[in-house]
Amino acid sequence: MSDILKQIAEKLYDGEDDAVAELTQRALDEGLTPAEVLNGGLLAGMDRVGVDFRDGELFVPEVLIAARAMHAGMAILRPLLTESDVPSAGKVVIGTVEGDLHDIGKNLVGMMLEGGGFEIVDLGTDVPPDRFIEAIKMEHPNLIGMSALLTTTMPSMKRTIDALMEAGLRDTVRVMVGGAPVTQTFADEIGADGYAPDAASAVELARSLAGQINKSDG
Amino acid sequence: MTQQLPVQTLQPMIRVLSDEQVRAIHYATLEILAKTGVEMQDPQGRELLLEAGAWESNGRIKIPENLVTDAIACAPSRIPMYDRLGNLTMPLELGKVFFGSGSDTTFTLDVKTGERRRTMAQDVEDIAHLCDALENMDFIMSMGNPSDVPPDDLYIHEFIRMIRGSVKPIVYTAKNRADMEDIYRIAVAVASDEEALREKPFLLLYAEPISPLLIPEESLQKLTFCAEKGIPASYPPSPNTGGGGPITLAGALALGNAECLVGLIISQLIRPGTPFLYGMNTAAMDMKSTIVSYGSPEWPLGMMAQMDLARYYNLPAWSAGGASDSKVVDAQAGIEMTFSILTNFLARATLVHDVGYIEYGSTSSMEALVIADEIIRMTRFLVDGVAVNETTLALDAIARVRPGAGFLADDHTLDNWKWAQWRPALIDRNRYDRWVKLGRKDMFTRANERAREILEEHQVPPLPEEAEGAIAEVLAERAAAGG
Repeated sequence: MSDILKQIAEKLYDGEDDAVAELTQRALDEGLTPAEVLNGGLLAGMDRVGVDFRDGELFVPEVLIAARAMHAGMAILRPLLTESDVPSAGKVVIGTVEGDLHDIGKNLVGMMLEGGGFEIVDLGTDVPPDRFIEAIKMEHPNLIGMSALLTTTMPSMKRTIDALMEAGLRDTVRVMVGGAPVTQTFADEIGADGYAPDAASAVELARSLAGQINKSDG
Repeated sequence: MTQQLPVQTLQPMIRVLSDEQVRAIHYATLEILAKTGVEMQDPQGRELLLEAGAWESNGRIKIPENLVTDAIACAPSRIPMYDRLGNLTMPLELGKVFFGSGSDTTFTLDVKTGERRRTMAQDVEDIAHLCDALENMDFIMSMGNPSDVPPDDLYIHEFIRMIRGSVKPIVYTAKNRADMEDIYRIAVAVASDEEALREKPFLLLYAEPISPLLIPEESLQKLTFCAEKGIPASYPPSPNTGGGGPITLAGALALGNAECLVGLIISQLIRPGTPFLYGMNTAAMDMKSTIVSYGSPEWPLGMMAQMDLARYYNLPAWSAGGASDSKVVDAQAGIEMTFSILTNFLARATLVHDVGYIEYGSTSSMEALVIADEIIRMTRFLVDGVAVNETTLALDAIARVRPGAGFLADDHTLDNWKWAQWRPALIDRNRYDRWVKLGRKDMFTRANERAREILEEHQVPPLPEEAEGAIAEVLAERAAAGG
């Protein structure tokens, strides 16, 4: 890996957005292709962030600051990149389930997944089963992620999974669930494919679940 | 617009005595000194007091108010303490708070086996070594009385082990004047010469009268030695309620104050301006087990009250906290240590010893010291108060936020999170699954691992060669004298 790409990855890890933007431009000026800068610099840095966050070495704001630096680099690269230049770990539709207005935990998982290379479609909060179904038909995601903060709204997760089966969509996606009252046992009971106790393990889980699904149109 | 003044931060502080209560205790102390008197067993101290205007009746030395007032006026309001490398690390001044280990326990919880066993000389050095690395331990006081050295040389070995184990200022104890001289000799060798030691003292004597009202000869001789050499000293009595002191805290405070002030008066009569650390220990004698309780609420309450007296006299003060009566490092230990650390910080006690004691001062624990370090850090955050200004009010972020969506990814969070929140080092806040994955470790286990890691990794600068030479000489002379 060239020196400048290594520097981009390091500055991104440290969350220095101005430095990342400047180095990204310089790398392009030196003749590197946008795809090389993206993969060897920005994504390489973000990968390290993801690993260290998973291992409990980084705090959430440090990940978000790194993501902010990633955006600074992407602002320069995006107009120059073609669709095929951007590798995607997969597409995830996320939402807080029907009856539940809690946004923060779901947003965090969304941001962490984005940092992990996933494309995120966020349906927001209080999402009824038919809106998940609609989104699956429109977006063709690899995964859907459901969040609930309240014990009283957890049954909405089961209702959504049941609705997916009825609509014949259950086999087209993997379903992950999370939120304070949710447990692995509950996830198994309602027929979800995975449960993650926190945002860092949600990224790991999403990676392993996405690997199980091959989207023909992805 | 005229530039406005910033909003000042209230940093919470506790007083437990009103001005009127402080005066009433002070008057009671004057009454004890002038009417009841103390038993003075040191002839030189007796002479000094009688010459200065005290009188003797019924075998007691009685001290008039003017000696008290003069001594308080004479004593320095600050005692700058240095580490043995010459850095000013512990300026003992009112408003500042310093913590340290202590003292002289019989047993220790072996950090490797968990066994409660007699303290050895190596333990004193190891615990000094541990405290050298703990950020919030400001001074070292011998955590135990070693059982593997000749009893007459106990305090010499303690001092040697402490000064090898850490560079931090040392609070030391001695048996008698001969001990004082040998320790001084070693300290001078560490500092390079007498003048350097006097200008940048890194040791402070802990001597004590015996409550109630008894001033032993040896304790006063030690104090006298320090006054002659310009070494800072303290003379805290222990009027524990129901034992050395009356069962009621006010009486214990008045009595302890009287006994401590006798030490102050002697030190100032020998050499006006001698650095003297005011203070006393006021724990409670338990009325069932008769232990002196280091977990009782009377203890921190008394320590806070004596800080109000210290402020009345404008003198920095000795204090105690961070200890427990529990036989193990458990929830009781956590409660009791936190209680006395928090109250000492809130009362701005100047020099807080006894951190890391368990079993009412009979056993030392490295785990307790590591946990106390975290409690002190946590307390420091609380006592810092709530800063109120443009940044901390966060009005822009509040205006930006989507209702319900949270501030986690807002620039205001990302720019300020590091200082705006306290972050634990030893306390566990992992989610359940991660805690399980990390081995389901409780606080004691984590503290034990941290202590062992420090002992393994932390380096302490060695003593200068001349100091090791002086140590070898002192020990050889003592061995010859003993044999």
